[in-house]
Amino acid sequence: MAFDHNRRPRAVVIGAGVNGLAAAATLAARGVDVTVVERGRGPGGMMTGAGQGELGHFVWNLHPAALAELGLGAADLGLGAEVATVLLAADGRHVVIEGEAISFADGTPHPDAAAYRALRARLARFAAVLAPLATAAPPRLGSGMLNRAGLSDLAQLARTGLGLRRLPRDARREFLRVLLSNAADLVRDELPDGPLAASLVFDAILGGRAAPGAPGTVLALLWRHAGGGRRRPAGGMAALARRIAGAAEARGVTIRYDATAAGIEVEGDRVRGLRLGSGEVIAAEMVLSSLGAMPTLRLAGPAHFDAEACRRIRGLRCEGTTARLDLRLAEMPRIEGLDGRLAGARLLLAPSVAAIEAACRPVKYGAIPASPVAEVLIEPGDGGAEGPAHLSALVQHVPYAPECGWTEAAREALAAAVIGALGTHMPGLPGLVTESRLATPRDIETMTGAPGGHWHHAELAADQMLTLRPVNGMARYASSLPGLWFCGAGAHPGGDITGLPGRNAALAAAADLGQGVTR
Amino acid sequence: MSRSDHFDAIVAGGGHNGLTAACYMARAGMRVLVVEKNDWLGGAAVSRELHAGWTYSNCSYVCSLLRPEVVRDLDLPQHGLQVIPYTGGATFTRDGDYFAYHSDHRALEREIARLSPRDVEGYERFSIAVMRQCRFIRPLLLRTPPDPVAPRPRDVAELVYLLRRFHDLGPRETGEAMRFWTASVGDYLDGFIENPLIKAHLAGSGIIGTGLGVYSPGTAYVLLHHYMGDVDGAVGAWGFARGGMGAVSGALARAFRAAGGEVVTCSGVERILVENGRVTGVALANGDTYRAPVVASGMDVKRTFLGHVEAQHLPDDFLKAVRRFKIRGSSGKINIALDAMPRFPAAPEDASFLSGDLHVSESLAELERAYDDWSVGRWSAEPYVDMLIPSRIDPTMAPPGKHMMTVFVQYAPYDPERDGRRDPAHWDEAARTAFADAVLDRIERVSPGFRDLVLHAEVRTPVDLEREVGLTEGNIFQGELTFDQLLFNRPVPGYADYRTPVKGLYLVGSSAHPGGGVMAAPGANAAREILRDARRLDRTERAFRAA
Repeated sequence: MAFDHNRRPRAVVIGAGVNGLAAAATLAARGVDVTVVERGRGPGGMMTGAGQGELGHFVWNLHPAALAELGLGAADLGLGAEVATVLLAADGRHVVIEGEAISFADGTPHPDAAAYRALRARLARFAAVLAPLATAAPPRLGSGMLNRAGLSDLAQLARTGLGLRRLPRDARREFLRVLLSNAADLVRDELPDGPLAASLVFDAILGGRAAPGAPGTVLALLWRHAGGGRRRPAGGMAALARRIAGAAEARGVTIRYDATAAGIEVEGDRVRGLRLGSGEVIAAEMVLSSLGAMPTLRLAGPAHFDAEACRRIRGLRCEGTTARLDLRLAEMPRIEGLDGRLAGARLLLAPSVAAIEAACRPVKYGAIPASPVAEVLIEPGDGGAEGPAHLSALVQHVPYAPECGWTEAAREALAAAVIGALGTHMPGLPGLVTESRLATPRDIETMTGAPGGHWHHAELAADQMLTLRPVNGMARYASSLPGLWFCGAGAHPGGDITGLPGRNAALAAAADLGQGVTR
Repeated sequence: MSRSDHFDAIVAGGGHNGLTAACYMARAGMRVLVVEKNDWLGGAAVSRELHAGWTYSNCSYVCSLLRPEVVRDLDLPQHGLQVIPYTGGATFTRDGDYFAYHSDHRALEREIARLSPRDVEGYERFSIAVMRQCRFIRPLLLRTPPDPVAPRPRDVAELVYLLRRFHDLGPRETGEAMRFWTASVGDYLDGFIENPLIKAHLAGSGIIGTGLGVYSPGTAYVLLHHYMGDVDGAVGAWGFARGGMGAVSGALARAFRAAGGEVVTCSGVERILVENGRVTGVALANGDTYRAPVVASGMDVKRTFLGHVEAQHLPDDFLKAVRRFKIRGSSGKINIALDAMPRFPAAPEDASFLSGDLHVSESLAELERAYDDWSVGRWSAEPYVDMLIPSRIDPTMAPPGKHMMTVFVQYAPYDPERDGRRDPAHWDEAARTAFADAVLDRIERVSPGFRDLVLHAEVRTPVDLEREVGLTEGNIFQGELTFDQLLFNRPVPGYADYRTPVKGLYLVGSSAHPGGGVMAAPGANAAREILRDARRLDRTERAFRAA
C-alpha cells in the first residue's frame, strides 16, 4: 500500500500495560504517530489492576531490550535490591534464601544448599540458551524457513543452536531431556522434598494452571529464570507503571485513559482505525492489541477471521488460577526467628512439592483449595490510609468459575484458608486483620480485561508457546487481518512483566510498514 | 568350557521384543540363545490356562501395534499367527445409554449424530488430524533415533531425513504436530468435540499404561501410540491374536527355532558378565554360564543395569540417568472366566460392538479423578476399565457357551499408601480384594448380574506384573512415554541407538525407542544395530587377516 510521505503513519495501541506501552514506545521511536487507549484510570494493566492498586509483587524479568525502546535504563526504574525469600516450613524450620546464601532461620546452614545452587546454576545456563528466542518473533517452521524472510529465522535458530553448542556435551543432552519434562521430577531428582524443592517448583507454576508434575512445566521455569533476581519497585507496581508510561510519553506517545476500545474499523479487509466507546474513531493504519486473542477477535468481528482461526482462538486455555488477597493489619505480624526479616521479603507458603501437587487438584473440579499455596509480601504501612501493616498474597490454583459460584461464602472460605494457613506460622494473625479484600481471577478479568483473569493472558504451556502462541498460524504477531497485531502477553514469549511481546510485535509491525517509516 | 556354552549372541528375556531380536539375528546366521526365567516364553505377551478350559491373555490383551514389517520379515502368519480384527467398542453410561464406536465410518457418523449432531463435523476433523500425525510418526517407529548432540555421519543423515519430513509437512502442519506432541488428550479433544461421553471414550487411549491424567500435557501423543495400530494393512484397526496374545510370542518362538535358535527357560539371567568394558556372557540363577560377545537384554533399562550389571562397569553419569528414568506402575488387570455372556441391557441384542473394547467412564472429569486417586497412592475408586471378551470371536479362548473377559484397569499404584507411607507390600490379600471389588462393582453397574457369572478371576496388580513378568514397578511400557523419555532421550540421552556403555551389550526391550506395546519395533531396530556392528567387526577382522 502506498503511503502519504507528508504524513506520519499512525498506529493505535489498545491497553496501557507494560506490553502496550513498550509497543507504543517502540513504534514512536521509529517515527510512527502512536495513540494508546486505556480503559482504566491509570497505566499498568495486570501490574496494577489497570490503575486500581497492584496485582503482582515483584519484577524479575523486565527485559533490557524492551527498556531500551522506552529509553529507560535499569537504574531509572527505582528497583530495589534483590529481595530475600523466606520459605515457610511445616515443621517451623523456615529457610531463608538471600542471593547465594541459604540457611535456616536460626542461621544454621541448610544441608541441601549446594545441591540447590547447582540446580539453579544449571537452570540459569539452560535459560541462557533459550534467551535469544524471546527477543524476536518465533521462527517459522517447515517450508516457511526456505525463503528470504526465513533466513533471519534461521539466524535466530542458529544463535540458539550456538548457545546450545557452547554447553558441554553432557549439559546439552540434559538440556534436550529436561526441556519438555516436568518441574516436580526435575527438582526432586536433585533435592529431597521440602520447602527448598517447593520454592523452585513454585516458580514453575506461579500464574498457571499446570500441576508440578505436568510435562512442560520446566519450560515455564526456564523462561522465569532467564531474568535476574526478584526486585520490588520503590512505591510498588503503580509507581513502576507510571515511570514506564512517562517514558513512553517522552517518546511522543499519546496515552488516553478512560477510553474504551469498542470496535476495530475495517475497510476492504484492512484495518482503518479504532472506534471508541464514545463513538469517536481514531483513524490509523494499524491497531496493536495487548488484549487477549479472544477479546481482540471480538473487537474486529469474527467475520474477518477464517473458521479455523476462530476455532483455535476459542480453544485457547486462558482461565486464570491466581487470586490476590490483600489484608490490612493492625500491626506487623511476627514469626519466631524471623522478626526483622519479614518486612519486604518474599514469603513462600508452599511447604513441599507434594503440598503444591495437593493444592492443584481442587481447581480441576471447580473447588476452592483448602490448603492453598501462595507468595506473600508483608510491608509496614505508612501509618496513613494503609494502616500499620499490609499483607498481600498471590494465591495459586483458585478456580475462575467455582462450582458454587463466587458467592460471599466462597470468597470468605478462600480468605479463611489463606489466613488459616499463614496463621499456623504467625500466631495471632487472624486477630490482626482489620480489612480484607480478595481479587478472584474473575475479578481480575473485570478489572483488567485479561481473558479469564489469567496471569499470562493464556496458559503458558508447551502447546501454547513459541510458534503456537497465541495460536498456530498467528505466532508472528500479525493476525490474519492485515493491520491488526497481537502485542500482549498472549503473544510470544508470554506473560510476566517483560515488555517483550509488545516490543517484538511493534518491531514486526514497523517492518511491515516498510519504507513508510522514517527513523 | 564346551562349545555348546558358546553363542554368537544371548538374548536375556524371552518377551516378544527379545524374541524378535533373536529371530532377526538367527536369520542372519548368528548362533543365538534366548534365556527366560519363567517356564514359558512371551514376557507380557502370553496365553495361559489359569482356570481349566479357559485361556487368559493375562497381561497384554490386544494386537494392534505389531509392526506389519516385522510380521512380514519373520513370516509370522506361516508360524501360526492369526489376527482377527474387531470392529468397534462402546462406553456405557450410568443412565442406561452408551456411545458405540464403529470402525465403519458411516455407522460411526450415525452414532455420533445420535448423541451429538454438532460433533459429526468435529470428529471428522479430529480423525483427519490424528491420521495425519499417524502418517508422520509411523515411519519413525522402525528407525533408530539420531543423536542430535554428538552426531556421527549417519545421525546427520537421519537428522536431515527428519528435517525433510518436517519441511514436507509445511509450516501449518508442523505447528499442528508440535501442538499434538505437547498437548494433553483432554485439551486436544476439547478442540474438536463437545459431547463429554464421546470425549471420554476417545480419551481412554491417551492414558492407558501411563502415570498421567487426561489433562496432563503429552497424553495426546500417547493417544497416537494407540492409534498407530494396523491389522492386515487396515490402519488404526485392532484385533485379537487367535489363541490369545501368547500366539504372537508362539509364532516368534517357532520362527526363532526354525532359524536354528536355542532356548533355555526356567532360569533367568542373574548376572551379565563384563570384562574390560566388554560383555562376555551371562550367568544364570541356576549357576549355568553361557558365553557370547553379544548380549541383548529384553529387560527394562533399570532392571538390566541396576539389577544385573555390576556398577563398576558403568559410568556414574549413566547410572544416575538410569536411576532417574521414570517407570511408574499405573495399571492393573483382572482376567475373568465367565459362566455365560454378560448382559449389557443398554446395548441392542447381539450388538457387534460387544466384541470390542467396552468402557464405563463417562467424562474427562471422571477420568481425571481416577488419576488423582492414583497420584496420592490409591487405586481409582471409579477406575477406567478397558474390557474385552475375545471369546466372542475366538472360540479357542473358553469352553463352548462360556466366555473369557480381560479387564485392564487404570489406575492402580505400585506402592499403595497406608498411614502416610507408600509400600508395594501394602498389596496384601485385603487390598487386592478391595481393588477387585472396585472394578467388579463398576462393571456390575452397566451389566447387572455380572458378578454372579464370575467363575474365576485372576487379579493382577503392578506388583504381580513386576514379580512375574519382570517389568519394573509393573509399568507396561518399560518406562513412561513422556517427551523426556522418547526418541533420542529413550531410555538415556546418548544411548538411544540400543547400544550401552558396555560394548556388546544392547537394550532390545521397550525401554528403548519407540517404546511399549506389543509392537516388536525395539527388538527389530536393536537387531538391525547389532547386525550392523557385527558386520563392521567382520570387516575389521577380514582386513586384519588380509594384512
